[in-house]
Amino acid sequence: MRIENHPVLDFKRGKQISFIFNGKAIDAFEGETIQAALHAAGVRVLGHSLTLHRPRGFYCAIGNCSSCMMVVDGVPNVRTCVTPVREGMVVELQEGKGIIE
Amino acid sequence: MRNSADVVIIGGGISGCSVAYNLAKKGVKNIVVLEKRFICGGSTGACGAGVRMQWGTEMNCLFSKYSIEFFEHANETLEYDGDIEFKQKGYLLIADTDREIEQFKKNIEVQHACGIPSRMVSLDEARSIVPHLNTSILKGAAFCEKDGFLNPFHTTDAYYRAARRLGVEFLHPVTVIGLTTSGGRISGVVTDKGVIHTNCVINAAGGASKQICDMVGISVPVISERHQILVTEPVEPMQEPMVMSFGLNLYVQQSPHGSFIMGRGCDAEPRDGRVTSSHEFLSEMAKTITRTLPPIGKLRVVRQWAGLYNITPDRQPIYEKSADVNGFYMCIGFSGHGFMFGPVTGVVMSEMILGETPTIDASKLSLGRFGRGEMVFEPSVV
Repeated sequence: MRIENHPVLDFKRGKQISFIFNGKAIDAFEGETIQAALHAAGVRVLGHSLTLHRPRGFYCAIGNCSSCMMVVDGVPNVRTCVTPVREGMVVELQEGKGIIE
Repeated sequence: MRNSADVVIIGGGISGCSVAYNLAKKGVKNIVVLEKRFICGGSTGACGAGVRMQWGTEMNCLFSKYSIEFFEHANETLEYDGDIEFKQKGYLLIADTDREIEQFKKNIEVQHACGIPSRMVSLDEARSIVPHLNTSILKGAAFCEKDGFLNPFHTTDAYYRAARRLGVEFLHPVTVIGLTTSGGRISGVVTDKGVIHTNCVINAAGGASKQICDMVGISVPVISERHQILVTEPVEPMQEPMVMSFGLNLYVQQSPHGSFIMGRGCDAEPRDGRVTSSHEFLSEMAKTITRTLPPIGKLRVVRQWAGLYNITPDRQPIYEKSADVNGFYMCIGFSGHGFMFGPVTGVVMSEMILGETPTIDASKLSLGRFGRGEMVFEPSVV
């Protein structure tokens, strides 16, 4: 699902692109966030809580809540709700707190 | 609020709570601890949480060894329901100059004489202990596997709860605004909530210790300097020991939660009691950590805070029974290591107050050493 008409905001949809999510190609539009594309593709579980391992969904959408942190092109803890999607990006679900090298 | 007490302790940080617990355990009744903010709300709660035995003076080595051996069993000794989270993963001291390596070697001789299992390590071994260490900028390192870090809040809470079970009363928020004397003896503590009559006062006020001494006309050579810390977002465990460098001016540990907690000193820090945060610290800390432990530079900073180092001219505490004002004691001037000496402070002060034979000789740390020029200078401080 994408918001087509918004009373205040105007969404300028860019050209169609494709990125990889957990090994699968997902369609997206330039100018939208990774989460906008994942949500439109029906992805609802974005990770699991650290202590009780309960599923986490799309929540704050402004980069505050840590619910949508994923590994993007090998970088952990990327807030996918505020990160623009790019052609060929490799996005993976993150379990745990992330590993840096 | 009660209007009399046998003992009044000023300060509800690790020192005050430890002194209260030790006195109560020895049977002293009617002990009151006054805290300006909340328990652990001053420098203890702002500290870097590390405890190390790798010091350059015999006294610091013995004090920290005693404290670490206490922390190893503190959950049981203090009958704590929680966990002080003592992680003995070691301290890796790194050096980027030959001069500092020489100092490490001298320090290790002192440490070995005290039975401390520290050793010089090669840069290869340092990298095997901390794989993300940038050894290209280093000359060498020293390591002690028994050093580590623990949770200052839980540790203070453990002392606080144990002291309360023994009947100690904690009052907060209560600010001490004056001390009264009568015939050269302490007679009372004036607070913003009323007066408490007492003949025994212990100054464990950390950053405000000088102001408390001023209230009875005792001049102490201590200054309270701001020291800053930051914490990053958490990641999976990747660094076991605390990494510390005196020359590069940094200490950094990965907390059990996965966040990195790091700090450094700066000569230009204010000495007016401020515990604000500065962007200069953020930028200098980021530069230092990125150069020394590059992957940590990829993490976001979550928060900054600051506490006060209550600093003496020789960077050693003052454990003192006042000769001028009877019944006035002080355990102050910890110079940034009051948390790690907490267990010693409680023992030393309780024995001093009760006139018992000292288990740990802290007589060299009396206030008079400054006047006599008998300072015990500690070379290894960040």
